[in-house]
Amino acid sequence: MQALQELARKLLTDKTANVVIGWGQGPRGPRPIFVTQPEHADRLIFDTRCVHNLATYLNPRRAHLVPFVKKAVVVKPCDARAVAGLIRETQVKREDVVLIGMRCGGVVRDSDMDGKLTEATVSPRCMDCPDREPKLADHLMGEEASAPPKGKGPDMIAKLDAMSPAERWEFWQKELERCVRCHACREVCPMCFCDRCIADKSMPQWIESSPHPRGNLSWQMTRVMHMAGRCVGCGECTRACPVDIPLGLILRKMTQTVEERFGYRVSDDPTVPAPMGAYRLDDKQEFIL
Amino acid sequence: MSAKTLTQADLASLVGDLVAAGTRVVAPSRTGVGPLQHLDYREIKKADEMTLDAGLPKRSIKELFFPPTEVLFRWKQKKNDFELQEVETKFQKTVVIGARPCDAAAPEIVDRLMNWDYKDELWNGRREATTIVALACDGQDKSCFCTAVGLGPDSTKGADVLLVPVKGGYHAEILTAKGEALVKDFGKRFGEAKSADEAGKFRETARAKVEGNLKVDPKPIRTWLDGHFEDKYWGEIALRCHGCGACASVCPTCHCFDIVDEPEGIYEGARRRNWDTCQTGKFTLHGSGHNPRGTQNMRFRQRVTHKFAIYPRKFEEILCTGCGRCARACPGGMDLLEILSDIGQMAGGAA
Amino acid sequence: MAAKTSTDKASFKPRIAAFVCNWCTYTGADLAGTSRLQMAPNVRIIRLPCTGRIDPLFIIKAFERGADGVIVSGCHPADCHYTSGNYHARRRFAVARDVFGFMGIDPKRITFSWVSASEGGKWAEVVNDTTARVQELGPFSAYREMEARV
Repeated sequence: MQALQELARKLLTDKTANVVIGWGQGPRGPRPIFVTQPEHADRLIFDTRCVHNLATYLNPRRAHLVPFVKKAVVVKPCDARAVAGLIRETQVKREDVVLIGMRCGGVVRDSDMDGKLTEATVSPRCMDCPDREPKLADHLMGEEASAPPKGKGPDMIAKLDAMSPAERWEFWQKELERCVRCHACREVCPMCFCDRCIADKSMPQWIESSPHPRGNLSWQMTRVMHMAGRCVGCGECTRACPVDIPLGLILRKMTQTVEERFGYRVSDDPTVPAPMGAYRLDDKQEFIL
Repeated sequence: MSAKTLTQADLASLVGDLVAAGTRVVAPSRTGVGPLQHLDYREIKKADEMTLDAGLPKRSIKELFFPPTEVLFRWKQKKNDFELQEVETKFQKTVVIGARPCDAAAPEIVDRLMNWDYKDELWNGRREATTIVALACDGQDKSCFCTAVGLGPDSTKGADVLLVPVKGGYHAEILTAKGEALVKDFGKRFGEAKSADEAGKFRETARAKVEGNLKVDPKPIRTWLDGHFEDKYWGEIALRCHGCGACASVCPTCHCFDIVDEPEGIYEGARRRNWDTCQTGKFTLHGSGHNPRGTQNMRFRQRVTHKFAIYPRKFEEILCTGCGRCARACPGGMDLLEILSDIGQMAGGAA
Repeated sequence: MAAKTSTDKASFKPRIAAFVCNWCTYTGADLAGTSRLQMAPNVRIIRLPCTGRIDPLFIIKAFERGADGVIVSGCHPADCHYTSGNYHARRRFAVARDVFGFMGIDPKRITFSWVSASEGGKWAEVVNDTTARVQELGPFSAYREMEARV
């Protein structure tokens, strides 16, 4: 932590960055903070409760943060994957960001929990995460981390896969009926950077904006399709959802499909082309007549 | 105002009685299993579906009166003419059991707006059909601040009956004509009041607990807000804010809506009213492309100002019940208690 | 419109929307017609420039607007008029199929096929097979029931 604070102080003092975006203590646990003065660098902390994906603040849609121009961001491996995604899709210039990578052995589900990492408290996003340290980083900090505890409880994807389509339909109808279409899932997503989302377009209105079952289903299916091969698995959508819809399940299913079919795993290497913008002549097509 | 006693067993029977009488009963209820579990206000058919001891439901009571989406009317196009189909504005009799005082107070605050220049028939219809049996609370966590906005964990505002937990059941205060009617209709479930003292102690303890969370006076805050629209405080208020509107979705008093026309076929469709929030950029985006609230800082200022200055100026009510849901729901760690405390200090310093 | 779909299985006539590319499948379907091949009359064709233009959202929209089944069809690999549109589409629909299936839409309701301009016979087959399959599954009543709650 001290090393992190010292580095932040140095970056701000020598003007390598105009702001250091990291975590600081808030009323309900750690939360994103924006350090602009070197003397405030000691507010930076890092522990297992630092769940937020700070790459989302690099997203050019955040007009109020654009004026900082040169930003330093503290990133966990999942956050670094998001930064790589933004660079890959030309939303961020590599030279405009200083990445302070943190070694990470998993985080808890939400920042207001106590930080003890156990089978019961580990965030679902950490279960499939193979990375203990970000490769896309200018500085690397923290102690060597071991793999996060395996989460408890049934593997919901396998459970749903084993169901009939009608049963799955029933499951998702129950979950999606709570959706109020606040679009928090979209707003927190580091990879959702469209200035005008298709869900906001009304001429023509492809996706009904009303939070009724039909509109909700269209919205979620479309969101997942737009995330194909791009979702970094940071789980922010699930955490942000004010009505607790397990959005991460659909995304993880999609990620599995992308990996199985195209051998692609979202990485923090911005030079690897995204799977949905590429193709192979021998892609499997067993489902096509 | 009279008082009664309602034992646990009688409350359970009351639920059964109400359901049998064809009344819709809504109560905090836990659904889902494991990590998918959540506590919401929902319709229950049996008393054991009710969960009164698990604190504040994640979503507020507002959707019972103002659903996330509702049809205002339907239309059919006929040659060169239109046929409009009105929607029903009479609603099923409903009793909400176990609404927390911060939830119970909210509809009464929003009543002012819904009956201001236009009397909203859908809102009023649901309000009239609904009796609210509130449950005094002992404070959810450190984000509760009902006492700072003139309410309290035992506030009776908006409630028809207030239940205060006592040994073996509840001390019930009957507050309104609707409450009296409920007691009259189901008189055999209510006993003589005998635990007023015990209830008083519960209320005192709860109040003291919540008061410790935030000590501010809303009056100077309102004055400060009126005079500091361009204050530099707003300039960096919302750096961490995602503009996701999760706060507004869970807020019991946020009531902004969007109106959309949705086709339901080629010659027919519906006009709907959907929840909306000032926290998204599109909320104020003009057709010209200009956006008077162009940054998230401006939007968050709007949220605070509307709740603590604009609405009070218009209706003499603070548009906030201190439930703390916004702080709990925020994925970015925005915290209204902290902001009110900041403004309280600035307001205090200026005075 | 959607609400008027028959839900009675015996008298059920599937409504199928076909999104086809202009260069291969549309021409193939035309050939099937001019060759007077016997085809089920349940398919409405929507012509698009290329399978690469077909957004999975089109499939959702078709179901929303009353379809019981959907066909997506275009040029065989290596035959795309725009060189690679169908390769991109192939990836997209591989994912869409899984995601839609995971959300509870029976993959049997959606047919993907490559039909070239000379394959009028294959088009007739695709149409007949899909119609028979959807006939067997019955109306997409889950979607209609969902709409009743709208």
